[in-house]
Amino acid sequence: MEGTIEANRPSSYAAANRDIIRVLLRPTVGWAALFLIATAAMLYGGWCWYHQLMWGLGVAGYNPPVMWGIYIVTFVFWVGIGHAGTLISAILFLVRSRWRTGVYRASEAMTVFAVMTALLFPVLHLGRVWQVYYFFPYPNQRYLWMNFKSPLMWDVFAISTYFTVSAVFFFVGLVPDLAIVRDHSKGLVRKAYALLSFGWHGTDRQWHHYMGAYGFFAALAAPLVLSVHSVVSWDFAMAITAGWHSTIFPPYFVAGAIFSGCGMVITLLLPMTYAYRWFDYVNLWHFDNLAKMCLLTSGILTYAYGMEYLIGWYSQNPYEWGIFYWRATGEYAWAFWTMVFCNCVAPLVWYSKSMRTNPWVLFIVSIFINIGMWFERFYIVVSSLAHNFDPATWTYYWPTAIEWGIMIGSFGWFGFWFTLFLQTLPAVAIAEIKEMIAPPVKGTLEAK
Amino acid sequence: MPNLNRRDFLKALGITGGASALSACGLDTNMYPTPVEKILPYVVKPDQVTPGTYTFFATAVTRGPHALPVTARHRDGRVTFVSANFGTKDNKPPTGPQVPTSALFELQKHYSPDRLKGPSQGGAPKSWDEALTALATAVKAAVAGGKKVAYFGGYKSGAIVELIRSFTGGNAVFWEPAGYGPLAKAVEGLFGRRVLPDYALDKATYVLSFGAPFLSGWGNPDLADRFAKARNPNIGKSVARFALVSPHRDQTGAKADDFLACAPGSEVAVALAVARLVADRKGAPDAVKALIGAAPVEDAAKSSGLTVEQIQGIAEQLASGVGVALPGGATCSTDLAAASLLINLAAGSPAFSLGGYAGPVDDFSAVEKLFADMSGGSIGVLLLDDVDPAYALPKRIDVAAALKAVPTVVSLSSHTSDTTKSVAWALPTADVFEDWGDEEPTQTLRVLRQPATSPLYDTRSLGDVLLTVARSSGLVAASGLGFAPETWRDYLTQSWQASAPADVPFAEYWERSLQAGFAVRAPAADPAPALTATAWAFNPPAPSGAGDLFLHLHTHPFRQDGRYANQPWAQEVGDPMTGQVWGSWLEISPEKAEELGLAYNDEVELTTEAGSVKLAVVPYRGLRKDVVALALGQGHQGSGRYADKYGVNAFSLVPGLSDKAGAAALGAVKASVKKTGAKGGLITTFSVYSSTDQGRHFGAHVSAEKLAKAGDAESHHPGELTGIHGLELDSRLTEQKITDFYGLPDHPTYRFGLTVDTNACTGCGACGVACYAENNLPIVGPKKVAEGREMTWIRVNRYWEQDVGGQDDIRFVPMMCQQCGHAGCENVCPVLATYHNIDGLNAMVYNRCVGTRYCSNACPYSVRRFNYHTYLWPEPFNLQLNPDVTTRQMGVMEKCTFCVQRIRQVKSAFKDGGNFTRTVPSEVWESVPACVEACPSQALTFGNLKDENSKVSKAKKSGRAYWPLADLNTFPAVTYLAKASFHDDPQSHHGGGHAGEQGGGHEAKAGHEAGGAAGHGNPAKETPSGH
Repeated sequence: MEGTIEANRPSSYAAANRDIIRVLLRPTVGWAALFLIATAAMLYGGWCWYHQLMWGLGVAGYNPPVMWGIYIVTFVFWVGIGHAGTLISAILFLVRSRWRTGVYRASEAMTVFAVMTALLFPVLHLGRVWQVYYFFPYPNQRYLWMNFKSPLMWDVFAISTYFTVSAVFFFVGLVPDLAIVRDHSKGLVRKAYALLSFGWHGTDRQWHHYMGAYGFFAALAAPLVLSVHSVVSWDFAMAITAGWHSTIFPPYFVAGAIFSGCGMVITLLLPMTYAYRWFDYVNLWHFDNLAKMCLLTSGILTYAYGMEYLIGWYSQNPYEWGIFYWRATGEYAWAFWTMVFCNCVAPLVWYSKSMRTNPWVLFIVSIFINIGMWFERFYIVVSSLAHNFDPATWTYYWPTAIEWGIMIGSFGWFGFWFTLFLQTLPAVAIAEIKEMIAPPVKGTLEAK
Repeated sequence: MPNLNRRDFLKALGITGGASALSACGLDTNMYPTPVEKILPYVVKPDQVTPGTYTFFATAVTRGPHALPVTARHRDGRVTFVSANFGTKDNKPPTGPQVPTSALFELQKHYSPDRLKGPSQGGAPKSWDEALTALATAVKAAVAGGKKVAYFGGYKSGAIVELIRSFTGGNAVFWEPAGYGPLAKAVEGLFGRRVLPDYALDKATYVLSFGAPFLSGWGNPDLADRFAKARNPNIGKSVARFALVSPHRDQTGAKADDFLACAPGSEVAVALAVARLVADRKGAPDAVKALIGAAPVEDAAKSSGLTVEQIQGIAEQLASGVGVALPGGATCSTDLAAASLLINLAAGSPAFSLGGYAGPVDDFSAVEKLFADMSGGSIGVLLLDDVDPAYALPKRIDVAAALKAVPTVVSLSSHTSDTTKSVAWALPTADVFEDWGDEEPTQTLRVLRQPATSPLYDTRSLGDVLLTVARSSGLVAASGLGFAPETWRDYLTQSWQASAPADVPFAEYWERSLQAGFAVRAPAADPAPALTATAWAFNPPAPSGAGDLFLHLHTHPFRQDGRYANQPWAQEVGDPMTGQVWGSWLEISPEKAEELGLAYNDEVELTTEAGSVKLAVVPYRGLRKDVVALALGQGHQGSGRYADKYGVNAFSLVPGLSDKAGAAALGAVKASVKKTGAKGGLITTFSVYSSTDQGRHFGAHVSAEKLAKAGDAESHHPGELTGIHGLELDSRLTEQKITDFYGLPDHPTYRFGLTVDTNACTGCGACGVACYAENNLPIVGPKKVAEGREMTWIRVNRYWEQDVGGQDDIRFVPMMCQQCGHAGCENVCPVLATYHNIDGLNAMVYNRCVGTRYCSNACPYSVRRFNYHTYLWPEPFNLQLNPDVTTRQMGVMEKCTFCVQRIRQVKSAFKDGGNFTRTVPSEVWESVPACVEACPSQALTFGNLKDENSKVSKAKKSGRAYWPLADLNTFPAVTYLAKASFHDDPQSHHGGGHAGEQGGGHEAKAGHEAGGAAGHGNPAKETPSGH
């Protein structure tokens, strides 16, 4: 895909069908290796969780008053990842940004799986997971109700809503493509895709309703992109803890989420494009645009970091300034500077067009972004708690093997679904790609 | 049964039902260890037990000079708590109501899994008949063979002493390793009577101590209360100043306004110089002056490293008010004790008398003689009571060989000890909760002990054992009651009858004393000190051995001399000064540590002439540079699962050379320290990142002079003396003018509140231990404490501040749930497991908690504790659990609720009394929470803030009031009262506001780099910038 950053397109409808569908249900060795690694990691994480269930949360490295550790860090990380997909598929759809077409399906899948991954953590970090139903307004004789003032309660609704809408939106987008796959398959597989494609035949009437529904879901999903991470940020901003209690959090978190999400899209789609040789569908035009998104949000983040420090210093609030000073100089300074390098410095190379169009640079910087955004959450969640208000309780937290195991398991869980997706569902929106090329003239289909 | 009619059916039902009820009464009052499995009412209820309610037995659980009236709280056959003895309206004990840590440790000792469960010989279980027959035979044989029957035990007083002396024909040694031998010897030498002095600290305006840990378990337990009274600006309109002259600053020393670090061994010179100056100024009698000698102040200054002005300053202040001097601590020599007594004589101190403990206090020389006799073969039977010679005696006494040389050695302790394994017979005697007895902590106070529960195991009372054996072996007592009384209880009653006042019928006197738990009588001798000595050759022992450092040994505030080392509470509650738990640590000055390249938790090898141990160092500011300090009480071998393996035995480091008077055993020793390069295993409950409050006003102080002038009574502007918060905020805190956007929760009848007087708080930890006992807090063990998971609901923060003058100022700030009006935790709980109740309590519903731990993150005071695991209580610790408080499951958050179960009880009791509409009167609430009840210095005041006239409402209006983190608008129910300080007040440099809080973050790093978990503070926060 070297050279061009213009929109590529396949030569014909048939080429599009063939290129995308050919990879389905034909596992390669590379795919199998990835799938097995992901499954193994997932199972290992599951075993770690089992261990934690048996022995209690004490197997994690919590060191009071640090009562949240990398489970919450990783939770926020995955919720953040889950932003880019809907942003790309819904918001860019609404603003008719053409470059979304090639990347939106895989990004959307990433979103759904990332939110599924994120949803694991609020559950498995509970002291008493077996009482998780207390979070829901189930009918009971004692009229026990939940606390709607708690940001965690808002989280429950925000994330479950986001997941539902993203999943539905994802599926709605898939229907025409599933029909294409159905038409190109036989036997049981055909039956399965037939079931999933809801009898799609591509009639005008179907397209008419379909586009209406798609637009509706896009409009519904778009504000959720902004709301869900704002609500997640309130988990912190609504608590009185210094370093958390800040009005800057919602925009700062949303920007960070888009940043990390776009970074993750680059990380996932670049190898995918090369592995499947889909240069006609995904190319440097897309990655250039994704890198620009990252560059913009990186700038917002840098501004937010700076503003946090400015306010901490200018307010002369001893707790606020104490925590910010310590974050940059104390025991977690390495985490802070890792974050600053990865989120503020590394993306700067993308100001150069040649760097935005170099696949190696794209990939490496996107990895930096993933790392940096994980550390951003680490720095927010852990450091504020480790140096809370009372200096007599100041402490240091470091995760245990079980926590790392569960975190690795979460990557495995995500990888499991994503690799499965690559084998079963068209990772590029075939129907939308076809909108970009000339309709086939009678006869050419056979000729090709 | 075709013909069964209604009448027959009812008959049959009655018979079977009655039979099952009768089988239930077979359980009788001794409900444990028999498990109760069916809930059936008693047919005949024991008089003193109503199931589900408490019975309080007035008793004494500590011994000898440490005894004080307390009550044992009994519930369904077991004692679950040691409560304070408040007395009745017209019969109050002369001691302040309190539950010192030692009393609570005795409670846990009662339920120790390491208790001996019955008599045994060489480890093989025997019956009491066999054991007593064997003992009687041995005594007979000893008497026939012309050998002595000897007794060796810890301090005890009252009737049992008489019985022991009768039994042994006077061969009884009462000794404790860090005891009062030197002081008793000095009093004997100067005044001709072997008693301990009584220090009426409440009368004093100046307290000079040479290291006596009088707030950490030394002497009369009432000293803490008296000292608090002396410091209370509302009593006597003055704040007593406390000066410590010692090489080391312990928990008691933390309260010292002036810490004068003198060279080890030079205390005597300083004391004599002070005595001389005071005598000259006060015009003391020549006899006193003659005893003191010339004692030139320059020589004292030279040997001690203090300045002449400092010594003169002490003398000046001591003489100008009511001064009182206390002797040294564990390392006190007889000369130092004598010199301290002479200061009191020279000052003519009204706070000093000889009315203290008059029970037996033996010198170390008596122990040496006993062991010489044992080795020499003149002892036929040795009874070892609550003493552990194998652990506590210096190595030069061959304890094992001496024990071997005695034909019959019998251990009477209820627990195993380092010594019991080399003892033939173990006859576990009843402990303080199961036995009768009496104690005489002063010459006027007699405390009566009564059994509060049936014996847990197959034990017998020491008195009964002695009486039975004496009778069956044909011993004849020289005097007194002899061995005639049938039982020990009879013996005790008859002993009291012999000394009962003539004007009251004895039965009435006994009944009253038993109910009250104490009796007060006139002293046998005039307590006024009358000098009998004419000369005293002061020649304190020089520190022995070689090395560039001095080793200073001190008793631990919890484990004391090691007697409570096997109590998990004593191991798990953090050391008040360093937070260290489950081990030993060596305190070293930060300068010396730096010189030796040592940081916190670096292991060293500590060598003295007597031995060498490996342990880790804690840089500690309360030390001279040439001194290292080590607490006694760890490093047991055979004293139980919680005592063994932890730490090192400090006794193994002293040569045990007695001073010339033969009283002391623990004098200063020279030592050397070598870095091993390894890391130690120190575990602390303190933060290793900051030892100060970073200017955040968790601890605050006010000028003592200002306070004495202004008084501390209700102020129109609460908190005005502290200068921390603006008055506007304060008026909101007192809930007078609330302009808060959200409004405060409505409290129609009660708003429970607490005041914490940090001026009175000594950091003794009694509140925390009482909380463990009352609220079923689990013990998590060293590994989990190292991860910060200790479950204590009251964290006694120790802030090691420095004031403008560079003087160290140590502030203890007990931090428990503040029951905030706007609680950070309440809003964030997704399932409403924590909520604000109508009484102003921040309630916690354990069953509803799912364990998000969000509440803890949102708590600015970090006082919530989480159950990371399901913690268990090894049997029989579970019998101590409070049935009114649930034990918490894994995954549940918990915290202080001002003992809500006790609040409920008070309300229920009030309703049971027929009061359905009236509010419970405020005075009823005053000592409801366990911590308030336990506090030995009455630093905590509890009550209803809705009543303007309640004690707590008044205390809250003090000019000293402050609220940590009040600027967060948490509206806490806990009010802190600032500590009085005699040094230049940094807060006076900036009238109010938050100056001085700047740059908390800078200091965080500085504090860490300094490496001090303990006492390694930051540079003084000199930010006199103001606004």
